[in-house]
Amino acid sequence: MHLWQATVPFCLLAAAALPGAAASAWGFTDATVAVQHKGAGVNGGFKEQLTASKPLSKPVSIIDADTLRVTLTAQEGSSPKRPHQAFLLLKDAHTGLDISYPFTVKENGKSRVELTKKDLPIQFLSLPEPVDARVVIGGLGTSDAYDSSVFQLSIDRNPELAVPTVETDRYGKKPEIHHIFKNSPSNPPIVITLAFVAMVGAAIPVLAGLWLLLGANVSHLPTAFKSAPLPHAVFLGSLVAFEGIFFLYYTSWNLFQILPAVAIVGAVAFISGSRALGEVQGRRLAGLR
Amino acid sequence: MRWCLALLVCCFLAAVNALSSSGSRLLAVLEDTEQKSVYSTLWADLEARGYDVSIESPKSEQLSLFKHGERAYDHLLILPPKSKGLGPSLTPKHILDFMNKDGNILLALSGKSPTSSAVSSLLLELDIHLANDRSAVVVDHFNYDTLSAAEKHDVLVLQRPGPLRPDVKAFFDGEGVLALPRVAPQTLGSDSTLLAPVLKAPATAYSYNPKEEMPAADDILATGSQLNIVSAMQARNSARFTVLGSVEALEDKWFSASVKTPSGEKTTTVNREFAKQLTGWAFKETGVLKVNKVEHHLATEGAELNPSIYRIKNETVYNIEVSEYVFDKWVPFEVPGEDELQLEFTMLSPFHRLNLEPTSRTETGTVFSTKFITPDQHGIFSFRVNYKRPFFTNIEEKHEVTVRHFAHDEYPRSWAISGGWVWIAGLWSVIGGFLAFVVVWLYSAPVADKVKKTQ
Repeated sequence: MHLWQATVPFCLLAAAALPGAAASAWGFTDATVAVQHKGAGVNGGFKEQLTASKPLSKPVSIIDADTLRVTLTAQEGSSPKRPHQAFLLLKDAHTGLDISYPFTVKENGKSRVELTKKDLPIQFLSLPEPVDARVVIGGLGTSDAYDSSVFQLSIDRNPELAVPTVETDRYGKKPEIHHIFKNSPSNPPIVITLAFVAMVGAAIPVLAGLWLLLGANVSHLPTAFKSAPLPHAVFLGSLVAFEGIFFLYYTSWNLFQILPAVAIVGAVAFISGSRALGEVQGRRLAGLR
Repeated sequence: MRWCLALLVCCFLAAVNALSSSGSRLLAVLEDTEQKSVYSTLWADLEARGYDVSIESPKSEQLSLFKHGERAYDHLLILPPKSKGLGPSLTPKHILDFMNKDGNILLALSGKSPTSSAVSSLLLELDIHLANDRSAVVVDHFNYDTLSAAEKHDVLVLQRPGPLRPDVKAFFDGEGVLALPRVAPQTLGSDSTLLAPVLKAPATAYSYNPKEEMPAADDILATGSQLNIVSAMQARNSARFTVLGSVEALEDKWFSASVKTPSGEKTTTVNREFAKQLTGWAFKETGVLKVNKVEHHLATEGAELNPSIYRIKNETVYNIEVSEYVFDKWVPFEVPGEDELQLEFTMLSPFHRLNLEPTSRTETGTVFSTKFITPDQHGIFSFRVNYKRPFFTNIEEKHEVTVRHFAHDEYPRSWAISGGWVWIAGLWSVIGGFLAFVVVWLYSAPVADKVKKTQ
């Protein structure tokens, strides 16, 4: 019954595809797929009949140390025969990976192949989708070879175990790298800065107020300028000029530009200062200070 | 005098006509030189493309790959010998020396007779493996020529190969089918980056020793796409070594044979076109890259070209012009589909690795460029373009530059830093206070009531 079901559609298909070709074609019969769980008994696990014309509707799954076994009887036309090629071909449609496992074939066409996860290449172990398991049977001569999907093989894995991956070095582009710069130095909020600037600036009025409270004044200014106008004016001017030179040094001048200027202003300050301070001494000796 | 000049011009033209980018002297090693008429179209095609073909037997006394320590030929085409080896002047060591001196090699194999052990050990040096008994033939019961191999199924009829990966240029693709009689399959070692398959066998193919009646399950070395019909190896010096599994595919007979697969129509093979693609690649007529110019400068107007020193955090522009050789001329290089030409700015390890974009093209080259900011790390850096891809000759450009730190006058001034304003205000208030103090000290009169007290 099963034999009849298996071969008739296939022969019709072959005959339709190749009219006038040699009538015989390779095929198989009495095919089963079984999954033997490790430790289970002889009849433990999954077993299903395979047909040559239609793949199984549900994927066959193997996990851990399960053994997948496919047995079949190869035949040319309708007589069992040993084929030249009898492979279980696993093919992944997405990645294009393929690998074949040859059946061990006896003279009467009885063939059998066993497969565990250990036999699979590492690339097959991390595929997300079930792979297509095909049976390929062919021989020399004019008979048409057989190649058709018989079931889907789902290669499952224990989710607790790491996915084995393989690192192969191939020439190709590498990921881009963008240098991560150090953070640029940052300033405190401007409000806080301005508050402290205001506090520092307030020191001058506070100082002036304290001095005024203690009776500081400039009452001797007219007297001093009357007795020695030039030295006082030049001395004060040279002090202001010093600060001006330092300001220029801070903003734009270099050391070689300020040194002659400091020398000139320093000499002027020394000479005018000694005259001006002489006048101050005169006021002290006169009992005015 | 005039004819002398004409001769000179002729010689010059002949030299220009020599198409390969790396010389035109081709040595074809053929054991039985009587056999050379079998490949007459191949020789004619090669000569028409400018090669200077000399056909020698490996047994020949005066045959030598080197003369005065230099290569005597630019390219080597080895047809499979029937005897055990290739003779004393073509030992595997000589052939590897030839490659080390930038010579290109195309080695043809045949499944008709066992491959010689010398060839097998040469291939082992390159991590290309043959079947253990060296006499395997690929058969495929689905893609064979029903006209010439109806019984044995050992004449494969295959489409020309597409790109190896989406990011690799296809040098061997095109319309039409190839006939590959009696292929000696190769498998490639998986650790080498230098190897690349050119044409793989279909998934249903397998190899067996035709002397045995039935292939035993244990004897099958590899199946399907693990079997290579044509494979290529490009050494680090860009010398090329190509293995063609079926020497018969180069015969005149198969250059325009009619073939028919079990399920297909009768068609004419394109072996001649494929032979041109294959010899063209093997002898560096295609897939040869050249860097014409490398420029780098600051991204400011009128910046100095290729300076030897940069500062950290400088915005920098890098340009590289690349040409590709296609049969007889240099054309602008185009990066294949998903691939990228990348620039690395490295000091020991890359600080930047950036994709270069094509910005302009000249008659013979494409200018690729990118703009980036030098890292905030001073030291000796280099601009590196290290473009190594299957089927392209290697580009390795390295230009060293110094990256210096900020100079003392390149930092922002203190008044530009808002956090420094407090200290600046403090400084100037001290100066103001000092001047006020001087004025008060010079001109202050004693307070009146104090004067009264002393009186």
